Amino acid sequence: MTELAAMTPVPTAPKRIPTDWKSDLMQRRIRKRYASERRFRFIGLAAVSLSVAFLAFLLITMIGNGARGFTQTDIRLPVNFAQTSLMLDPTALTGPNAEAALAAANIQGATEEAAVAAFGPDGADYISDGAWLSVRAAIRKDPAILGKTVDIAVPASTHIDIAAKNGADPEIRAAYQKLEATGRLSTGFNLNFLTGSNSNDPTLVGIWGAFKGSLLTMIVTLLLAFPIGVLAALYLEEYAPRNRWTDLIEVSINNLAAVPSIIFGLLGLAVFLNVMHLPRSAALVGGLTLALMTMPVIVIAGRNAIKSVPPSIRDAALGIGASPVQVVFHHVLPLALPGILTGTIIGMARALGETAPLLMIGMRAFIPAPPAGITDPATVLPVQIYLWADEVSRGFVEKTSAAIIVLLVFLLSMNGLAIYLRNKFEQRW
Amino acid sequence: MFKTFALVAVSALALSACGDPATGGAGGARDQVKIVGSSTVYPFTSAVAETFGRNNPGFKTPVVESTGTGSGMKLFCAGVGAGHPDIENASRRMKKSEFEDCQKNGVKDIVEVQVGIDGLALIESNAGPKMNLTVEDVYKAIAANPYGKPNAAKTWKDVNPALPAIAIKVFGPPSTSGTRDSLAELILDKGCNKNPEMEALKKSDADKHKDICTKVREDGAYVESGENDNLIVQKLTANPDAIGVLGYSFLEENLKDVRGIAINGVEPTYETIAGFTYPGARAMFIYVKGAHLTAIPGLKEFLAEYANAWTPGGYLAKRGLIASPDAIRAKNAEIVQKLTMMTGADLS
Repeated sequence: MTELAAMTPVPTAPKRIPTDWKSDLMQRRIRKRYASERRFRFIGLAAVSLSVAFLAFLLITMIGNGARGFTQTDIRLPVNFAQTSLMLDPTALTGPNAEAALAAANIQGATEEAAVAAFGPDGADYISDGAWLSVRAAIRKDPAILGKTVDIAVPASTHIDIAAKNGADPEIRAAYQKLEATGRLSTGFNLNFLTGSNSNDPTLVGIWGAFKGSLLTMIVTLLLAFPIGVLAALYLEEYAPRNRWTDLIEVSINNLAAVPSIIFGLLGLAVFLNVMHLPRSAALVGGLTLALMTMPVIVIAGRNAIKSVPPSIRDAALGIGASPVQVVFHHVLPLALPGILTGTIIGMARALGETAPLLMIGMRAFIPAPPAGITDPATVLPVQIYLWADEVSRGFVEKTSAAIIVLLVFLLSMNGLAIYLRNKFEQRW
Repeated sequence: MFKTFALVAVSALALSACGDPATGGAGGARDQVKIVGSSTVYPFTSAVAETFGRNNPGFKTPVVESTGTGSGMKLFCAGVGAGHPDIENASRRMKKSEFEDCQKNGVKDIVEVQVGIDGLALIESNAGPKMNLTVEDVYKAIAANPYGKPNAAKTWKDVNPALPAIAIKVFGPPSTSGTRDSLAELILDKGCNKNPEMEALKKSDADKHKDICTKVREDGAYVESGENDNLIVQKLTANPDAIGVLGYSFLEENLKDVRGIAINGVEPTYETIAGFTYPGARAMFIYVKGAHLTAIPGLKEFLAEYANAWTPGGYLAKRGLIASPDAIRAKNAEIVQKLTMMTGADLS
């Protein structure tokens, strides 16, 4: 280079001083650049670790508290039916009036008597208020036990249950140790928590009622929001002319997706309950309200997925003589479907965790039986968590955490499904 | 893929169809009691509902919704028919305006039943300074304009020289809550009226009196803590110098962490609240629609179950309800039996 410059006399450029990398100034600049690099990486790492720490904190506290919610302390209560004051004839329980006979008998009193007989004057406080339900179930199963003495596993009271899981006042601990010594206590998996419904007694509550309510609500939401959202997205992308009106619609849909959910609750209250007179507290109304909220999310996700289908596919299909409808339904939609499904499931997951709009339409209610259909009064998982968090009895603390775990698992499986569908059907060009 | 969707759609429709004929829309009859109203009465009513459902397999378990007393009254008074609730839970008496609203919308016959007493308690952490307050102290500490002047008190000592110099921090219910109405009515108003000027103002300018006597300061000394009373207990454990305002049943359940604060020298206990000597005691009511008593199956039986449950040794007492004095209980048991309608003459 220097030789060439020497041979051909060209107007000399201002002489370039080679950068002095060793100079103080340069060293400072280099240090500054490295420092800013390190700073950025550190901030990024800190942001990630902060969110991981919060997630870990949430999961650890939830699982730490909630795991106990899935267990239940049982007492094997010896019931001597002959000695108790229970007036119940085994033969009456085989006939058609068995239920009426069971309802008329004072099984609760008999159960408390048995507890007092077995554990002393405080015995009735050791068993759950709903212990007699287990006794009733045992009698229903085998009326022959009425003449005998049998051991029936009944749920322990909240105090004993908490003591069994290490955390109670000394007085109750003493009672617990006394019980423990009799060898009649056992702590095991609480199946009732997964199959039962709401109750006032933490030893009897279950999550199934709220879970089924969530399921029914989600089905209504999906049935409405998915077809309407996908068709709207298809029309806007494939057919709608580009003009001021479609721009306006696009802006409105984007806006709608960002509207706070409580507004949709008020809308649901005004339209579905006050104008259309649909039943209050029902999964139908909850689903309708959440569908309003989820639809814009599906439209946006759907439009992006449809946009990413290459035009060559459309051109090729049109070129071999497909009609526009055939192009859309045979080619564009199947190719866009993974993207649409991912968007839909994420929208649905958001709807699943939603409480605020459902409070407005009366789903914040005590419903002790799982809903049989979409017009029955129902509640949903997040509302159930909200209600239990407000309960007086201390036994509900762990049940609340356990319900949160159920909700998280539900959400996790929905998101897992979204990722699976995306990976399975995703096309790359 | 489409086939799967079609399948899901069809099965969901089938699922929804099977539920339809049973309950129907708002127009048809209903075979399930519907209850709305106060979150304070909710635990008791839902306990009665659950027991009622268990003991009466012939009836469906009532649905109890927690809407708050005010919103519940609006729903209750909106009209007669299957679309409107049958019972309203109230943590205070029905207001005259609400009664008139009911009458206007055709809800002519209402049965008023006092189900028990709920205590509003002032509490502190077990590690707290063992405060001993008067209603006046509380009023001066948390009112926005005590006796008409802006509140400048920073510590309890500023309020009353006999009290320790601890910063005023009170966790209490938000303005939408029935418990807040009780705080205003049972404690703040009483403290306010200790001043003869305020007593005079009540007669001359009731609105101004209400504003001065019940408005709570908003400069951070009074923290609105939502409807979640468990949260208040947690906050107090973390801040031993703070004071909480909540329902007595929460105090009873959390004696491990918190204790009651004596007001005018009276500690909040079962006896002092039942006897109305502790200032924070208030009666709880349920209102039943007369027109629904024959139309909705199980409504009368539900009321009978309620009357059965509110005795001192009953299961509601176990859940924190404070039974009314014997005379009031007997009177209300008679109302339930004879289904006497309220006249609304003595409402305010």
